[in-house]
Amino acid sequence: MAKTIIDAHNVSKTFNPKTIPVHAVQNVHVHIEEGEFVALVGPSGSGKSTLLNMMGGLDEPTEGTVFIDGIQITTLSENKLIDFRLHNIGFVFQAFNLIPVLTAKENVGFVLQLQHMPKNDRKKRVLSLLEDVGLEDKINSKPSELSGGQQQRVAVARALASKPKIILADEPTANLDSKSAANLLDIMAKLNKEEKITFLFSTHDQESD
Amino acid sequence: MLLKLAWLNIWRNKRRTIITATSVFFAVLLAILFRSLTDGIYDNMIHNVVSYSSGYLQIHQKGYWEEQSIDNTFEEDGQLYQDLLNNPNVTQLMPRLQTFALASNTDKTKGVLILGIDPAKEKAVNNLHEKITEGQYIVTTTDHAVVLGEGLASQLKLKVNDTVVLLGQGYHASSAAAKFRVKGLIKLGAIELNNSVVYMPLQQAQYMHGATNRLTSVSVMLDKTTNLERVKQSLKESIDANAYEVMTWKEMMREMDQFIEADSTGHYIIIGILYFVISFGLFGTLLMMIFERQHELGILIAIGMKKHLLAFVLFLESIMITLLGCFTGVIAGFLVIKWFTAYPIHFTGELKEVYEDYGIESIIYFSSHEKIFIVQTLVVLLLSILLAFYPGYKVMTLKPVEAINS
Repeated sequence: MAKTIIDAHNVSKTFNPKTIPVHAVQNVHVHIEEGEFVALVGPSGSGKSTLLNMMGGLDEPTEGTVFIDGIQITTLSENKLIDFRLHNIGFVFQAFNLIPVLTAKENVGFVLQLQHMPKNDRKKRVLSLLEDVGLEDKINSKPSELSGGQQQRVAVARALASKPKIILADEPTANLDSKSAANLLDIMAKLNKEEKITFLFSTHDQESD
Repeated sequence: MLLKLAWLNIWRNKRRTIITATSVFFAVLLAILFRSLTDGIYDNMIHNVVSYSSGYLQIHQKGYWEEQSIDNTFEEDGQLYQDLLNNPNVTQLMPRLQTFALASNTDKTKGVLILGIDPAKEKAVNNLHEKITEGQYIVTTTDHAVVLGEGLASQLKLKVNDTVVLLGQGYHASSAAAKFRVKGLIKLGAIELNNSVVYMPLQQAQYMHGATNRLTSVSVMLDKTTNLERVKQSLKESIDANAYEVMTWKEMMREMDQFIEADSTGHYIIIGILYFVISFGLFGTLLMMIFERQHELGILIAIGMKKHLLAFVLFLESIMITLLGCFTGVIAGFLVIKWFTAYPIHFTGELKEVYEDYGIESIIYFSSHEKIFIVQTLVVLLLSILLAFYPGYKVMTLKPVEAINS
């Protein structure tokens, strides 16, 4: 039996609870097993990003608990949570999520530097990741020199760099044309199969799956 | 990694960084030039005044300053001179015998200040000979002639080659009386001195007062930039502290010291305002740097960068921009001061006359003391460090979701 990687119970998120409460997420249960490739589908404003943020420890639920790989992240201190994310969760956001002053390889290597990986190991891993996403010829390009699709592929490579247990992708294809979007999803699916990494991504596009 | 990231970040908006660094540059440059100019003027003023009067330091017999009597003189001592000159900061010594007497000519009588001096040594320090307006300067310590202040000569209706009669009290209550030929008239900036001074060769003064080989003081000239208190302490240790007292010009001329202190306070306020204005520019840049990058900062926290590291990057950015302005400002300041040291500004016209009337060289000096450069740089750096706390605080309180969605 596969191991449970995300286990969220009765998760709710209410914005402005004291003034005009907005219930973004209400009593949601999420159970995802290791190696699954899960799409969170829904129209804009349905609370996908909010739920994803709570799964990734970026936002606190108003109610409920979130366990990632058996650890209750809702009780972790801020610093421990940042450390937890660094080693266990990879993020891919909608757009503009690379550091604009760094090249593709520096962006990917940045997470590894935060993990204090030795320089030579880091170099090898960065090159291998950029090869996996088909950007071996763009390693020295800055984000501004890359297309939207290429930037998202660098973001995927960066999310994979720390060998996380899960990758959370919040509408990663939203700003891409259909060809780039399909290409990105193919890469994510391939990595899911080859690296056995759990993917949870949100989309409002029913055809993404 | 953090250094590189900070360095790359400050060049994301080249124009803004250059404008901010330029404002720091001008603040540092102006502050350095301002301090250099005022310190230079003060140094020059002090040098001029002390060379005519007290010297930077003065050695007396212990107790002389409390009771300035000829009975409190001390015997000239070659060993004392040697001990003083052994100090590397001491440039010249001026032995003096200073007393008060009555001067008269026909039916005119006036109280005067007699300064028994070594003409050659005084000439080397304060160019006394250049202030002679009529007649000649006294040449040797045995010359039987005196130089009178112009004002005094006018009040006593004395001219060059006339004879002045001096009557006073000598050593151990003896009577001191003599007549001297007026060899020259001197114009001094200090009006009081101009109306009362009689410059007399040292040996003549000693002989007249029955105080052979005795001195009231030895004025000590120093390098202008020397730390006065440190040298005073060092001299006190090298001479017989039981026999002599060492006093600084600040202790002997408290009014001038207080005037400089008060004037300096005004200058500090001006520099403070300058830095206050610059702080706003720097703070504005720091605010822009954080607010326009909220999304990116949120992403960095999300992918696992600790907030204190992020705050440190912003801190480095602030320091780098400041250092850029500081460094170029110090170099420019140094070059400008070097230029004005080599080619000082000379006053002309009425201003020149006013300065010379007060016995001060009519030249604007710039001080190139390293303290000026160090202090201004440290002040600006300290300011930027203080200002950098705000972006740091903002990062520490940043919520990643809100930042990413901004």
